[in-house]
Amino acid sequence: MFFKSAISLQELNQYEQGRSLSEDAFNRLKKNKFALFGLIYLSVMIVLAVFAPLLAPYAYDAQDLSLGATPPSLAHWMGTDIFGRDQLTRILHGSRVSLMVGFVATAVALLIGVLWGTIAGYSGGKTDAIMMRIVDVLYALPFTIFIILLTVVFGRSIFLLFLAIGAVEWLTMARIVRGQVMALRQQEFIEAAVSMGLSRWQIMSRHLIPNILGPIIVYTTLTIPSVILLESFLSFLGLGIQPPASSWGSLISYGVETIEEYPWLLIFPSLFLSVTLFALNFLGDGLRDAFDPRSSKD
Amino acid sequence: MSLLTVSNLTTRFYTREGITTAVDKVSFTVKQGEILGIVGESGSGKSVCCYSLMGLIPSPPGKIESGSALFQGQDLLKLSERELRKIRGNSVAMIFQDPMTSLTPHMTIGEQLIEAYRVHNKSTSQQAKLRAIKVLQEVGITNIEQRMNAYPHEFSGGMRQRVMIAMALITEPKLLIADEPTTALDVTVQAQILQLIKNLQISHNLGVIFITHDLAVISQLADDIVVMKNGEVVEAATANALFRSPQHPYTQSLIAAIPDSAKPKNRHAIEVNAGDEIKANAAATPLVEVKGLSKSYSLTQNTWFFSKKREFKAVDNVSFDIFKGEILGLVGESGSGKSTLGRSVIRLLDADANVLRIDNTDLQSLGADDLRRARKNLQMIFQDPFASLNPRFTVFDTLAEPLLVHGIANKNNLLQKINELLDDVGLERKHIRKYPHEFSGGQRQRIAIARALAPQPKLIIADEPVSALDVTIQAQILELLLELTQKHGLTMLFISHDLSVVRYLCDRVMVMNKGQIVEQGETEALFSSPKNSYTQQLLSAIPTLKVSA
Amino acid sequence: MLKYFFIRLLSAIPVLFLVILITFILVRLAPGGPFDQERAAPPAVLANLNKQYHLDDPVVVQFKDYLVNLLRGDFGPSFKYPTRTVTEIILTGLPPTLELGLYALLFAMFVGISTGVMAGLKPNSAQDYIPMTIAMIGICLPSFVLGPLLILGFGIGLEWFPVSGWGDSPGDKVLPAITLGAAYAAYIARLTRGGMLDVMSQDYIRTARAKGLSPARIVGLHALRGALAPVVAFAGPAAAGLLSGSFVVETIYQIPGLGRFYLQAAFNRDYTMILGTTIFFATLIILFNFISDVIQAWINPKLRQSLSK
Repeated sequence: MFFKSAISLQELNQYEQGRSLSEDAFNRLKKNKFALFGLIYLSVMIVLAVFAPLLAPYAYDAQDLSLGATPPSLAHWMGTDIFGRDQLTRILHGSRVSLMVGFVATAVALLIGVLWGTIAGYSGGKTDAIMMRIVDVLYALPFTIFIILLTVVFGRSIFLLFLAIGAVEWLTMARIVRGQVMALRQQEFIEAAVSMGLSRWQIMSRHLIPNILGPIIVYTTLTIPSVILLESFLSFLGLGIQPPASSWGSLISYGVETIEEYPWLLIFPSLFLSVTLFALNFLGDGLRDAFDPRSSKD
Repeated sequence: MSLLTVSNLTTRFYTREGITTAVDKVSFTVKQGEILGIVGESGSGKSVCCYSLMGLIPSPPGKIESGSALFQGQDLLKLSERELRKIRGNSVAMIFQDPMTSLTPHMTIGEQLIEAYRVHNKSTSQQAKLRAIKVLQEVGITNIEQRMNAYPHEFSGGMRQRVMIAMALITEPKLLIADEPTTALDVTVQAQILQLIKNLQISHNLGVIFITHDLAVISQLADDIVVMKNGEVVEAATANALFRSPQHPYTQSLIAAIPDSAKPKNRHAIEVNAGDEIKANAAATPLVEVKGLSKSYSLTQNTWFFSKKREFKAVDNVSFDIFKGEILGLVGESGSGKSTLGRSVIRLLDADANVLRIDNTDLQSLGADDLRRARKNLQMIFQDPFASLNPRFTVFDTLAEPLLVHGIANKNNLLQKINELLDDVGLERKHIRKYPHEFSGGQRQRIAIARALAPQPKLIIADEPVSALDVTIQAQILELLLELTQKHGLTMLFISHDLSVVRYLCDRVMVMNKGQIVEQGETEALFSSPKNSYTQQLLSAIPTLKVSA
Repeated sequence: MLKYFFIRLLSAIPVLFLVILITFILVRLAPGGPFDQERAAPPAVLANLNKQYHLDDPVVVQFKDYLVNLLRGDFGPSFKYPTRTVTEIILTGLPPTLELGLYALLFAMFVGISTGVMAGLKPNSAQDYIPMTIAMIGICLPSFVLGPLLILGFGIGLEWFPVSGWGDSPGDKVLPAITLGAAYAAYIARLTRGGMLDVMSQDYIRTARAKGLSPARIVGLHALRGALAPVVAFAGPAAAGLLSGSFVVETIYQIPGLGRFYLQAAFNRDYTMILGTTIFFATLIILFNFISDVIQAWINPKLRQSLSK
């Protein structure tokens, strides 16, 4: 309720409460087991990543050269690498990097994309044409290759990764948001808001943005895995995170080198990466179905 | 001779939300060479029942539970999908409501017609083509050789429906099922298509099931009529008997709900005492003055670099006044510019006008802030009650917003004001915290009306406010609008494509065609003796309830 | 249509120019010259080298020269392999990369479209859930995970296919193509399913059924074209993705393709090579986008007509 501050709640409480769209959406989400699994898994994963230094059984760079690479055991649940470093510890620390890149770069994309798309969509006309033409042109650029080029030119830093990945992903966000805004602008309730004498800002904040929140949340959830994937891709190629720091991608890249001798070095980081991508995609799909029940078509 | 005999047909839908019985023990008979009308409001099961016969309901979730449908000695409901396919489009053909979406967009008309023929008849493509040309001629398509190679989007709505009919007739069917075939069409086009269907039905000795919500339309066509409600047949009779003496209360209410143009409008009758005085005052003081208003759109075609501009005049040099306290009707077919004009009057769209004055304020001279304040007096009611309410606002929010923005209410009396509005539009107070999706179409339109009333406006523009509603609801909303304009002394511009609604409600009427007002005048005068040829054409096309003696 | 074709082609030129300009500037900005080595070369030698490669000209002149040479198909010499030109290296690396990409694309299209159609015809049944869950797994298994797993399973374990090489034995193209194409197959399957669901609920499909057409004809003639629209729109970005994906796959399977050369150039700071290959890749991707746009216009008569006006 937007205007409940205008009167005391007690007065309203005598009336039966309605079900808002978000409540409906949440109820549908709760019924989707896959999405619920995704949500729970992600929460656990985030807690693990944030508290990795406290939770990890070993120090991050503790080597035990005499131990070398050992398969999973009670002391080292996921085995050790050739330097005798605990694999579980390295994966937990790696998840900090992977998830952080995922969230921060997505936030960058979200910020630019939503602003760009809303302004273009709401302004319409020439402003819109120019802004979207810029997006079109950027879209045609081969970004993965540019990112590789950037890492070559400016060296490999995590900051650059954020920026570069965010710069790629905002384009789609801008397109989606613009599309939503354009579609909403044609809706009669926006026209009704205009004819009511609301200001531009009141229309945007009360009528427009709350109604595009759903698609934005959905697309954000689906952007995070593609960002994580991109970071892993670059780290796998040796262009992302540099040792001794590790991310899932760089751990996988180590694992591939010794795939025949020490397969557990490949399998465990791959598992973390894939299950996380799984969880995010399921959650994203679930959110989409929840916010837009028609999209599931059943 | 009976062509199709349906008995005890029951169809249910098994969805997550539960089981719904869409068709409940329905029985009817279609005779050869006769038209059976199935009448009902949305959700009455009238379409589902015919789709069930043809195996066209989505299954799952749909399931035909029981019944039989004897057609030429076969029970359609017992046939396998493969056997049914031999009948569909062959001896039973169908046409649908929206010809815009009912033809495959990426195939030419010719391809689709030829396909329809060759599926059921062994023939060369040349023979099929000749056959296609013949039926296209029959439905009145000209320039056929060229039109055969055209895609559906290159035809107008009426032409597309003709193509659909041609496609249905190409296999010489015995039975034609027509599902609201004219609902999406303009009234003049509707009249032509109805005439076409009637002619073809006679010349081909067709049995026809004509599904519609429109009693007036069906009264002109049908021999027998079945009235459906909530999946059940409530009344079945010959057309004459049904319209002369409807037995079931629901049928009676349907007939009563038709804004019957034959009945004298009751509005003047109500205000007989005050009427003359109001009229005298009104004549002196127009609330709205419009002179020389035009609105053009430039259609830009964007290629990558270049853009071509074409001017399209949606409203072309229009002048009129709206007097205080009157309801002025604005009538026109789709694309006539009536909605554009309505929005231009209150500057929801910016148009060019020599004079645009409302309540002695020159609307064109107002800056953005002043215009926003002026909007308090200028409100609008929209066509689609599903799209005109913010889905994230409760009724309380929807009504509180205009009250607070224009300072009509404050903290202390907000709830009271909102409750008064709800009383005004006949919504129960207990619904105040509910969201739009929890209401029916008619209830939503009531909320939208309450919102328009909230800032205590002087002028209301109502753009097709009842055309998305079922007839019985439509009648209630019209009644409500009439009552409220009188109670609050409102002035209203009522935009509609539906002439009978306008005749029922409005004091004066303007007829719009191709961006221009071709005729305006007192409602009764205009309806009884139209001067303009377009108005005459429009009026003669109105389907009226036909009850033969 | 022809005009649209032409205009669309013209519009690619500024994009291409932008790519060349950005790449050129980026490479110039890079710290450290191409001839920096662990042991610093004597200044005289450096000056000589710089002169030989025209690096002492003003940047604008260098850019102009580079553009002119590009138009002749000359990407200049490689700094690291002075005996070979960049053009030669690109031409050596291109065939395996294109071949790999083509096989992967065919695999992705075939598997993706057929499973997508199947799933879309019977939504919310086993026929839908099973392939779509597999598709989801496909999307979540990146090529650098799937590749090694395939090697482990089918190469080392079952010994069905060789684990590396290109063109040496008949089976050695199977695993790379699947590795590269799997994620795209999965994505295309999802797109096709969505497209099918969309189209099958359209009114004109109901008309087609009412005409008594067979299911095969309805899907093939009336539904598929509309259902594949999102797939065609995806083909351009997919081609771009396949190209950059080939970096990984070529590394894993040790395929002597352009992707590997590119990565080597990136690690070696072979600037002319990076510049050349980036521009080459960009041109390819722009070309694929162009083709995908043209096909999109072709399958949609409404769009075709509005464009040809």
